[in-house]
Amino acid sequence: MSAFEASAPAAPPVPASFPPKELRQACDEIVARYPTRMAACLPVLHLAQKHFGGWISPEVEAGVAAYLEVSDSHIRGLLTFYAMFNTRPSGRHEVWVCRTLTCWLRGAAGLRRTALAKAGVDRCGVESPDGRFLVKDMECLGLCEVAPAVFIDGAPHTEVTTESLEQLMDACE
Amino acid sequence: MTAKKKASKKKAAAKGPAGSTPAPARAQRGADGVYPETQILSRNFGVEDSWTLAVAREQGAYTMLEKALATMTPAQVVEEVKTSRLRGRGGAGFPTGVKWGFIPQDSKKTKYLVLNADESEPGTFKDRYLMELDPHLVLEGCLLCAYATGLDVIYIYIRGEYPLSITRMEGAIEEARQAGYLGKNILGKQGFTVEAHVHPGAGAYICGEETGMLESLEGKRGHPRIKPPFPAVEGAFGCPTVINNVETLAHVPCIIEFGGAWFAGLGIQPDPANPRALGSSGTKLMGVSGDVKNPGVWEFEFGITLRELIYDYAGGPLDGRKVKAVIPGGLSMPVLTAGELDVPMGYDALQKVGSGLGTATAIVMDDACDMVEACENIAHFFADESCGQCTPCREGCHWMEKIFARIKAGEGTPKDLDLLEHLFVNIEGRTICALADAAVWPLRSILRKFRHEFLAQMPGQSDPALPAGSAAVGAR
Repeated sequence: MSAFEASAPAAPPVPASFPPKELRQACDEIVARYPTRMAACLPVLHLAQKHFGGWISPEVEAGVAAYLEVSDSHIRGLLTFYAMFNTRPSGRHEVWVCRTLTCWLRGAAGLRRTALAKAGVDRCGVESPDGRFLVKDMECLGLCEVAPAVFIDGAPHTEVTTESLEQLMDACE
Repeated sequence: MTAKKKASKKKAAAKGPAGSTPAPARAQRGADGVYPETQILSRNFGVEDSWTLAVAREQGAYTMLEKALATMTPAQVVEEVKTSRLRGRGGAGFPTGVKWGFIPQDSKKTKYLVLNADESEPGTFKDRYLMELDPHLVLEGCLLCAYATGLDVIYIYIRGEYPLSITRMEGAIEEARQAGYLGKNILGKQGFTVEAHVHPGAGAYICGEETGMLESLEGKRGHPRIKPPFPAVEGAFGCPTVINNVETLAHVPCIIEFGGAWFAGLGIQPDPANPRALGSSGTKLMGVSGDVKNPGVWEFEFGITLRELIYDYAGGPLDGRKVKAVIPGGLSMPVLTAGELDVPMGYDALQKVGSGLGTATAIVMDDACDMVEACENIAHFFADESCGQCTPCREGCHWMEKIFARIKAGEGTPKDLDLLEHLFVNIEGRTICALADAAVWPLRSILRKFRHEFLAQMPGQSDPALPAGSAAVGAR
């Protein structure tokens, strides 16, 4: 679903307090690596997404923007550009299925069908109704010699079959 | 995703620690006709815990940095790399020493190295092996580049989908810092002060394009810049910047070890009659994925043929199948048919047959592959990954995908093929960066070489030359 489909918010988001104390040191260290605060956006957003349950809400977006002294819209521009960021709730488990040529030749289309059926959704990019899964179509994950590849919660799985994918997803709480 | 270890057939390896072995000799096909591997970059891949500093040091890590700092001036290092005729391993093949020479030495600005470890080209996984299995070799290459060109800060831009590469490179940086290979006055060399950081990407193919990478490093969307100014003059944060691929810099320690002339003697020599044929010197990590029995990555001197790579090392097609088409390097190069595989792997040789070396990691499609569906898959990739700056690419890639989908659905007409050709002309060469060209090249070549498959899926366009049912191959 594109960002355009989201309904317009009624009021500006209240910025979340950022960074939370658990991330303060890590974020400050990241900022110190670069000559500009803006350059810290991607690594800080990675930390923020991990800390705030796998997605960046408008409130977190505004909090990160204030911390890095950039506009909210700059952060939104990054979130909608980079495939690894989520702008809506992402389920308790994120399943990435590689769809690019090598994995497709080795059976990725079947894996995608299996993952969607297991999640109980009809397309990629939406949280499953029970909040358990978010299945994402990803472009080449760089595991071509052990294709087809799937990531579950950031961990790679290789030479995946529909059976092994079912087992992997069954093992997710 | 620890790199898969492969049983090797033949090796002409520089075994043992760096600095203790003679230079590997040129690869010769054996009595059985098999082209041997030459393990220089990959010589530590099978060593246990090869990514730790303790083990890497046993294998000679950082001895070439010590040698350069003790016995060579920065200009001599640049000269040695120029002599080696090392060309970029990321796909474009630009001479590395020449690129280093563009860095202005009189500039007072901070100078940067951005190591391109955003290995997002489909079918490509070679840099992952280097970062996972020999991160100290990669870092030593970066430091030699920093010494040669007078750089202050190294950013290693690794795609977010490579978690183990990120962990291993961050670990290597930390170990190197503690051991005095990074920081102030490295190894006691007054004034040689370099810092290194890993910068994680977040899922965008375009950030592998060098100026898209700079934008992304600066915390922006990965929109490629118009050149000039070139990064060497105005790159990261407006300062002089070298951008090199991981594998490119991993070659530098062995060039310092055995000499640029030795490196230039390996592989394929330049063609004196053709000033644009710069030759393919040294070795290259080459990979095969897709419809083969034994996909993987190996290191060869340039000159092994694509057929030898696929049949002698990647095990050939799956049982009962035949090779139909091969993209020789990643996704972004024109396709070769099964009859065009006797071409040496090299920059100029592949260009001569209308394709390109790219990343030298071939994707093999067998006779079960429906080329219309393959084109839809390829077009979807580029449509998805277009950054959206330039209209021909942003709109054109989606158009192409839609047309292939229409043909697949049985609703295509021969006019669609003309429309595609019209789109190719209006996309290729009309954008800021080469992503749009990269979309056109595989699609146009498939369309031209397998036109009958497209016609066979159009109502009333049966091709008599085609055996019945042969286009309706296995649904994937």
